[in-house]
Amino acid sequence: MKGYHQKKVKKRTYFLAFLFVFWMGVLVLRLVQLQVIDHAKLKAEAIHQSQNINQIKPKRGSIFDRNMTILARSIPRYSVFSQPLEGESRSAHWARIKSIGRTLELNQSKLLAIKAQIDKDANFIWLARKIEEKTADRVIDTDINGIYLMEENKRFYPQGRRAAHVLGRVDIDERGVSGIEYRYNTTLQGVEGEGLISRDAKRRRYHFETLKAPVDGKELVLTLDETIQYIAEKELEHAVLQSRAKWGTVIISEPSTGEILAMANYPTYDLNQPPNPPTKLDRNKAVHHTYDPGSTFKIVTVSAAVENKSVGFEETFDCTPGYVVYAGNTFWDHERLGILSFHDVFVHSSNVGSIFIGQRIGEDNLFRAITQFGFGQRTGIDLPAEERGLLNPLDKWTKISVASHSIGYEISVTPIQMLQAINVIANRGLTVPPKIVKKINGSDMEDPSPPIHQRVLSSDAAEIVRNILFDAVASGTGIPAQIPGYTIFGKTGTAQKFDRDTNRYLSTAHVASFVGVVEDRSPLFSMIVVIDDPQGHFYGGQVAAPVFRNIAKNILRYMCVPPAQKSLDTLIASNTQRPNNE
Amino acid sequence: MVRKKFSKKEIAIGIACTLFVLLVLSFYVWHQTESVSLGYDTAEMEQRVIQLEKEVEKLETVKSSLLTLDRVENIARNKLDLVEPKDGQVLYRDIDKER
Repeated sequence: MKGYHQKKVKKRTYFLAFLFVFWMGVLVLRLVQLQVIDHAKLKAEAIHQSQNINQIKPKRGSIFDRNMTILARSIPRYSVFSQPLEGESRSAHWARIKSIGRTLELNQSKLLAIKAQIDKDANFIWLARKIEEKTADRVIDTDINGIYLMEENKRFYPQGRRAAHVLGRVDIDERGVSGIEYRYNTTLQGVEGEGLISRDAKRRRYHFETLKAPVDGKELVLTLDETIQYIAEKELEHAVLQSRAKWGTVIISEPSTGEILAMANYPTYDLNQPPNPPTKLDRNKAVHHTYDPGSTFKIVTVSAAVENKSVGFEETFDCTPGYVVYAGNTFWDHERLGILSFHDVFVHSSNVGSIFIGQRIGEDNLFRAITQFGFGQRTGIDLPAEERGLLNPLDKWTKISVASHSIGYEISVTPIQMLQAINVIANRGLTVPPKIVKKINGSDMEDPSPPIHQRVLSSDAAEIVRNILFDAVASGTGIPAQIPGYTIFGKTGTAQKFDRDTNRYLSTAHVASFVGVVEDRSPLFSMIVVIDDPQGHFYGGQVAAPVFRNIAKNILRYMCVPPAQKSLDTLIASNTQRPNNE
Repeated sequence: MVRKKFSKKEIAIGIACTLFVLLVLSFYVWHQTESVSLGYDTAEMEQRVIQLEKEVEKLETVKSSLLTLDRVENIARNKLDLVEPKDGQVLYRDIDKER
């Protein structure tokens, strides 16, 4: 009996030992499966549950003017999106989105677009992008399951419509689509990074590790001066509205460096509420628009004549009839000017005299001068889609081409090319390419394009041309551009517009312009004013030169440049005589 | 069966060892808890710094938009009744010469 009992206990002990060993074996095998066989898969799953790898968006670089005034900056804004819940039907998803539709102010077309995405079983649906802070707060308050907020950046232009055409704009994903934003998109946008977020069982974030640091976009410092830009825009708007013109543009630059201080267009728009889709308003006329320059182009004619010594300074030209017939075409002066010296031909802007001088220069020399001044080529300014203008090659010139080119017809130029031409005179014969980006202000300071100076005219020839242009303002067609006490030289221009439909110049539509330089011992700034199709008065001297004067006067005050002493004494004297002057 | 009797010294050593092990384990648990807790705090602080930096930039931008020249001119003309100086009312002082 005892032996039987002992045998039974032993059997049970073996059985229990076997069970234990078997259980241990199963555990070991399971451990091997978990730790060895499925190791990679399970590790990935664990990481997926507790860690996320997120794209870190870089911050788009800001844009400043030369005095570090903010012109464009990206600021954080929330976007709202929806994801279907586990096992949620399309109708339930739609109902959920509709319930937040009023908070987000979704219009009917947007709701229909969202509905279409739900019908396609989209897993991620944008409801609203870059909403106002108050709206985001209201969304948070609604606390609807499956509606999420994501932080993004929105481009903001604190100055509104200031320099709109220069800055350009970005799309909803902050990619530049025009202006500086487009031209320097790669520099501004930066490089995306990656971050690892560790979360606990309650999905709370407790650790963040940057795997790949994002590289923020670099900051751009432009050559623009916000105050000068403001002065130019204000005066241009006033002039365009007053003359009932179609549009106008003004460019102001520093001749010695080629730096653009202001580039204004009117009509314009607010960069924070741009026209959508983009319209013709987006075009930066200063670099995109070409026009026949008319008399402002005589700067090239006079320069070619002086440089090539084609005409003696004492020579006179008979402009008494007020017109000249050349190769069967009649060219008119704005009035009968009588017998004019070489100097007076340009001071009084005689077309007849300029054509006589153009003949003496000859087509080869004239064409060479035109190309040396940079016409028919892009100036290379760092703005997108610059036009090169229209300059026919010499072998396509007709019998009247010399006459036409001498007075600024049969050639199309951009305002920036014309400004570059006057800068040649201001720089005593040297050409300096215009530029609009002063610095790329990232981790290291870089000068994107050191200026290249090329000689176009001899220094003496440039000085002679400068003196003629000075007289054009002192006693010629440019008198309305005068500012007492300051040295100004420049040239007016009035060109008939070319009608592509009838292939003729229109006698009723004009482009009025003035291009000039203000000096204070050395050139301070140069400026071009172009007004398209002004109604009523249409001469450059009547429409564009006063705009030049008003802008220049305000800039000189802003730059604290006093008038010449004699003029200053006169002004003080007249001021002290005025009673109750304070 | 006779149970071995532990001496007082042996019991003291045993208790000390047990306490030491418990202390080490407690320290380990405390350390882990604190690390996680500090992780939360650091993450929160980092977020706060980022938020404040963004806030500073936003305020700078707002300041810039409040100082736009259109707005300043509008206030000067319409609220403060200021007018532009006439020719001769602006006097220039040559500071370099005066020095």
